[in-house]
Amino acid sequence: MAEEKSIEEREIASWKRKLIGSWVLTVPIMLIMYSGMVFGLSLVPMKWMPIVLLVLAFPVIFIFGWQTIKAGMRGLVTFYFNMDSLIALGTVIAYITGFLHFFGLTQDYSGVSSMIMSIFVTGKYIESRARGRASSEIRKLLELGAKKARVLRGKEEIEIPISDVKVGDVMIVKPGEKIPTDGVVVREESSVDESMVTGESLPVDKTKGGNVIGATVNQDGVLYIKATKVGKDTFLANIIKLVEEAQGTKVPIQKVADKITSVFVPIILMLAVLTFVNWMIFTQDVSRSIGVAIAVLVIACPCSLGLATPIALMVGSGMGAKRGILIRKGEAIQTMKEVKTIVFDKTGTITKGKPEVVDVYTVGKIKKDYLLETAASLEKLSEHPIARAIVSFVDGKKLKEVKKFKILRGRGLQGEIGKKKIVIGNQTLMKEQKILVKGIEAKIGEFEEDGKTTIIVSENGKVIGAIAVADAVKEDSLEAVKKLNDSGYKTVMITGDNERTALAIAKQVGIKYTIANVLPGDKAKKVEELQKSGMVAFVGDGINDAPALKQANVGIAMGTGTDIAIEAGDIVLAKGSLMGVVQAINLSRATFGKIKQNLFWVFAYNVVAIPLAVAGLLHPVIAEIAMAASSITVVGNANLLRRRKI
Amino acid sequence: MKKLKLTIEGMHCASCASNVEKSLKKVKGVKEVTVSVMTHKGFVEADDSTSEEEMKNAVSRAGFKVVEVRVE
Repeated sequence: MAEEKSIEEREIASWKRKLIGSWVLTVPIMLIMYSGMVFGLSLVPMKWMPIVLLVLAFPVIFIFGWQTIKAGMRGLVTFYFNMDSLIALGTVIAYITGFLHFFGLTQDYSGVSSMIMSIFVTGKYIESRARGRASSEIRKLLELGAKKARVLRGKEEIEIPISDVKVGDVMIVKPGEKIPTDGVVVREESSVDESMVTGESLPVDKTKGGNVIGATVNQDGVLYIKATKVGKDTFLANIIKLVEEAQGTKVPIQKVADKITSVFVPIILMLAVLTFVNWMIFTQDVSRSIGVAIAVLVIACPCSLGLATPIALMVGSGMGAKRGILIRKGEAIQTMKEVKTIVFDKTGTITKGKPEVVDVYTVGKIKKDYLLETAASLEKLSEHPIARAIVSFVDGKKLKEVKKFKILRGRGLQGEIGKKKIVIGNQTLMKEQKILVKGIEAKIGEFEEDGKTTIIVSENGKVIGAIAVADAVKEDSLEAVKKLNDSGYKTVMITGDNERTALAIAKQVGIKYTIANVLPGDKAKKVEELQKSGMVAFVGDGINDAPALKQANVGIAMGTGTDIAIEAGDIVLAKGSLMGVVQAINLSRATFGKIKQNLFWVFAYNVVAIPLAVAGLLHPVIAEIAMAASSITVVGNANLLRRRKI
Repeated sequence: MKKLKLTIEGMHCASCASNVEKSLKKVKGVKEVTVSVMTHKGFVEADDSTSEEEMKNAVSRAGFKVVEVRVE
């Protein structure tokens, strides 16, 4: 990672050296050339002027400009044309006129060649600085990780480099220090500022057993943390990988620009030749024809055309990364513009995903404890969040042995305790098993009106009670959904819950449409149906909802705070807040808008500037200034994206 | 199939990046290439047998230098 920074810095430093060197010689050249013209003075006798210019310009072109000349000429020979080819050809031809001038063949453009090269180098210097700024957020991300860790070895605390920390090491982190790597708190408690990786602005409380993320900052207490992930497996390493890889992905709109870029240079070369020939035919003025051809060579700006999209994507994804919004695929920011419908998974996306038992109802003389124990005995064998809620509610009670246990996916569980056959689950399951729920229907209705999920417990084919479980809505779900509704999106919630429970939750957060009773495997199919009426974005957690995330035009995967779902999802949110969805949409729109703006200006520039140069209306130096300005503008404009509020 | 991340020095414009892409695609065994001028990175997907040396040569043919190869 260290060399990454140095590439950027080396490039900036190298352009700076060239910039200074070339201007030190070009300023005298300009004085010599224009003093006569402007002040009527001649600093150098007319006779000597061409020689002095050739001598002064030589280092500018062939020392400070050598890299450009070399790359450009190589491009001409190997047919890997690049913009250096244009500059190299333009400046070398201009320089050679200095010699041709002795034979009276043409006007002397050698001074001009030096000016062109100096301006080119200046443009590149400014551009490389601006590019450095564009990637600053991502670079900061790379530098975010801690360098050292204090670990417990035996009873001793020793400080070791981060690369030596192994999984299982217990690290000691004092207030104000960075947590070296991902881990779990084993002693003490504190609050941790995670804003740098998740965008979550408030410090998060961490107690024993809590997961912490490497590179976040411990606030007020000493934490003992057992390392669980090191090196390239950490949360931060994953984020960096995502962001870096995203830069290699293409935004579809860029394809046109890329196609043009690849044929641009040869076309300009031909155009320059044609221009020269035409001017020769019509004017028979060699000097003029050469001047115009040089202007054509140096005005064309393939670079800004190719840079327009990636630079904006870079700024955009850097801004996102800072806020915990990771754009994985450049395509997503373009597709996002077309999205009309946003589908949310309920559990873990709109709600906290941690259901709790909120109500218990028993039939007849059945005791609550008996009901709960019976239920928990079966639920203990399931991994379902609802099962866990019931088990933890009954914690500490004696559970019974269960035989012939079976999970009925999406509906419930069954098994035998002693000689009793127990079936636990939703109404669909009861109907399936022909268990009458008549006696508690009113109660079930009451639970469901409140958005509670009802688990019916039956024994030997008779209902003995029901447990109501509710999953609290995340604090900012309401605000986020409201914003999306206001922006004109169709908001849809998809859930395995029954209609009534689902509607209650949807009403709580303001979602307009609900699709209830969906089995986990059918979410992708539902998304596909919705896609018939326009592009769909799906928001869900990356683990259970992977197929739906892939099916959607834009998949937005929600992280859980310490884990990020990398594989599925075009956009990944590090923090589990729905406001992240709003931000991701705003960011995509802003970034794509910037890309379009950049491409427009670049096309407009080339479409206007090249004909002007061909028509001989631009002096080569003016042409080069225009070119440099155009490529600086593209990078600068992309940096302006940063001012947008997301 | 293997995935490689190349760090490439010297690219300063987008046509440079597209030249590197073109050159790398000609290497036998290379399936997928994306080069970013912004991050100086090239992501290559290639058959396991593909020679890293040849990829480096391909990059230098386009006029640039590979400073680091990392297998993902």
